[in-house]
Amino acid sequence: MNKRLFVPIALGALFASYAVVRAQSPSKSVWDGVYTEEQAAKGKELYSTHCSSCHSDSMEGGEMAPALAGGGFSSNWAGLTAADLFDRIRNTMPLNTPGKLSREINANILAYIFKFNAFPAGSVELSQRSEYLKDIRIDASKK
Amino acid sequence: MSTQKTIARLLLPVAVVALTGIFLMPHAIGQSGAAAKPSTKNGEWPFYTADEKGTKYSPLDQINGSNFNKLEVAWRFKTDNLGPRPEFKLEGTPLMVKGVLYATGGTRRSVVALDAATGEVLWTHSFREGKRAAMSPRQLSGRGVAYWTDGKGDDRIVYVTTGYRMIQLHAKDGSMVSSFGKDGVLDLKVGMVTGVDKQIDLETGEVGLHSTPLIAGDVVIVGSAFKEGMTVSTHNNTKGMVRAFDVHTGKPLWAFRTIPRKGEFGYDTWENGSADSNGNAGVWTQMTVDLEAGLVYLPVESPTSDYYGGERPGDNLFGESLVCVDLKTGIRKWHFQIVHHPIWDYDLSSAPILADINVDGKAIKAVALPSKESFLYVFDRITGKPVWPIEERAVPQSDVPGEKTAKTQPFPTKPPAYGRNFFNVPDDLIDFTPEMRSTARDQIARYKTGPMFLPPLIGDPAKFLGAINLGNASGGTNWPGAGYDPENHIVYAQANQSAVTPITLRTPPAGFSDIKMVMGRNDTDFRVAEGPGYGSAADYPQPKRTVPAAGGRGGAGGRGAQGGNPLQVQGLSIIKPPYGVVSAVNLDKGTLQWKVPYGETPDNIRNHPALKGLNLGNTGQGGSVGLLVTKTLVVLGDSQVTTTDQHPRGAMLRAHDKNTGKELGAVWMPAPQSGSPMTYSVNGKQYIIVSVSGGAYSGEYIAYALPDAN
Repeated sequence: MNKRLFVPIALGALFASYAVVRAQSPSKSVWDGVYTEEQAAKGKELYSTHCSSCHSDSMEGGEMAPALAGGGFSSNWAGLTAADLFDRIRNTMPLNTPGKLSREINANILAYIFKFNAFPAGSVELSQRSEYLKDIRIDASKK
Repeated sequence: MSTQKTIARLLLPVAVVALTGIFLMPHAIGQSGAAAKPSTKNGEWPFYTADEKGTKYSPLDQINGSNFNKLEVAWRFKTDNLGPRPEFKLEGTPLMVKGVLYATGGTRRSVVALDAATGEVLWTHSFREGKRAAMSPRQLSGRGVAYWTDGKGDDRIVYVTTGYRMIQLHAKDGSMVSSFGKDGVLDLKVGMVTGVDKQIDLETGEVGLHSTPLIAGDVVIVGSAFKEGMTVSTHNNTKGMVRAFDVHTGKPLWAFRTIPRKGEFGYDTWENGSADSNGNAGVWTQMTVDLEAGLVYLPVESPTSDYYGGERPGDNLFGESLVCVDLKTGIRKWHFQIVHHPIWDYDLSSAPILADINVDGKAIKAVALPSKESFLYVFDRITGKPVWPIEERAVPQSDVPGEKTAKTQPFPTKPPAYGRNFFNVPDDLIDFTPEMRSTARDQIARYKTGPMFLPPLIGDPAKFLGAINLGNASGGTNWPGAGYDPENHIVYAQANQSAVTPITLRTPPAGFSDIKMVMGRNDTDFRVAEGPGYGSAADYPQPKRTVPAAGGRGGAGGRGAQGGNPLQVQGLSIIKPPYGVVSAVNLDKGTLQWKVPYGETPDNIRNHPALKGLNLGNTGQGGSVGLLVTKTLVVLGDSQVTTTDQHPRGAMLRAHDKNTGKELGAVWMPAPQSGSPMTYSVNGKQYIIVSVSGGAYSGEYIAYALPDAN
């Protein structure tokens, strides 16, 4: 390959990979106050209606439903992003009507799950957009 | 309703060529023509549990302790499109016969045939059942399929659909066996009853099954499973039954009723004729068969309901009993009730293991039953006599209105429990730091604790929030069962030691149920513990169900949001590690040969701010997984995802030395093990397959093998 041609291509590739890495590295954590108290309060009622019969009030889960709090939750989700969890809920829950809850409802429910896991509330609502939620990392403990 | 063959028309010629190729190639090692009986000795895996004896043992040894770390992914099969949405709890274990793998997968519980060497799809099959599947108490893809052959080229795959139909497929192309049942389908709901012989509704009637049918010669045997039993709307639900059918035609051969009818043996163990008005007592896990003796072993689960037996006073045979029946007639030969008057959800969870052992110089044809209680109950499998005495010991009694607990329960004197089976307070309380122990002491005082068989109580915040038991719903050894090496006579079992279960009862709201007590507390909102069976299947959106209002407090009442879960201390389990173990039990001696922590220390402990700098050793993990036994190894994978200095975010499939329990190697998986591993050899190469899923990771079968090049 022509060396002169190679350098810009290599630089371009480097930049592209950097951009990908940038896009994939969340800048925030669930410990940074990523939802509001009001949102979690709405989410609590919604969780009660749509989720608790299988996942239980204490979010311990059941025979077919995974835990949404404690060690079981952090094992499944720590290291991933809020978007991963949001989209899992949005696409597959609740089991009897998967994908039928609005983004707003799902975001409120997720806010309540965060609150239940003792992640602190903040001043900005949790986004309903998956691409924004990708910027929030789920950490089991504050780093 | 229609069958769906999903080999695309365009691909058919290719598939036919591929199929021809498959069956012309001498794939399976040691295969000596079509008449050879499928066997692990040929490098095959023809039963869910490797063989009809429940051993999960394969003599293969190409993959061993010296090279396990070199394993790499040979191929992978994602199950996402085997149903309208991905499955995140893939529990299947494939079979391998003559170079072809057969497995279930996906939210439709489809059946797939894969080239065992490459993972290439040979055929798929699915059966659309609509509402009938939606209402099934056993959803998702189940555990797998069964294989039958006449040894002359008639090879069939047998499985049970989500909606409780048995279907037979030709192994060669997935087409339905028209001579079986009606056009290849047998309606298993026909004959299932409630009350006194009242046929259940064929569409909405409550019954399903995750386990695979058991093939015993020319007989196919199936069990039955029902809804979760915590907050039942009736105690008079479908009755458990095990049935045998002619494998050629589907003609019924016999039925064993786990709840006896009037005049039958055991009826009088249900006082006040209560056998007539109670249900459940299914056989939801794998059964095993002694073909030589012509005996079948049925591990029976709890009657309704899981935690309250006031509607069924008495011992309640054959609830939570191991029952041995004649293969030809279904007539009971012997039984042993593991728990009298069951109210702890100690369902018999595991395939009984058939083991030919030598005790004090005497050869015994034994059956060993792993359990949620982490006891291995060992019997002479011909006579039913315990190999070592099983003593009836006095146990605590219930003070719940209407409940009449059994005075004694059976305790094996040998072998010792291979896992923790009660919460010994204060010794078992978390003790990572003095502060944690102190908090744990305060918090556990809100619960009643004691020995095994502590009966459920009426929850009252002024007294006790519940009665603590271990092992019930998800402790000890669960549905994945254990394994056995027929050469060294050792049972290998994984046990969850951290399933701390606070059992508490309450009265249900008026109009909800005909049972006097359900799980819950009177001071909190009543909530139905839902799960499969409430309209949550592949293609059936359900209207919202209404639950009678209990009055009083609103909202979800989450404990974490309201001051924390008293069974957790700083976010960690109140019970100390190890959270799970792998054990080896010598059946010749009745001794525990070794016991080691199972899995890796979870991240929430390793990274806990209060534990920085402490050397906690390996805490192990909770959860229930199955294992595989080979010539030299015990292989099983983590149930939890971890991120460590040694490996990126993921779970590890681990190999333990059979003789010592020492870990000899591990290979990375992208998600937890969610089904039991199996192994086989094809073209001289050994593979290990494990199903993984959970969290954000949808179901996948991963095949591992050693690299071709050194």
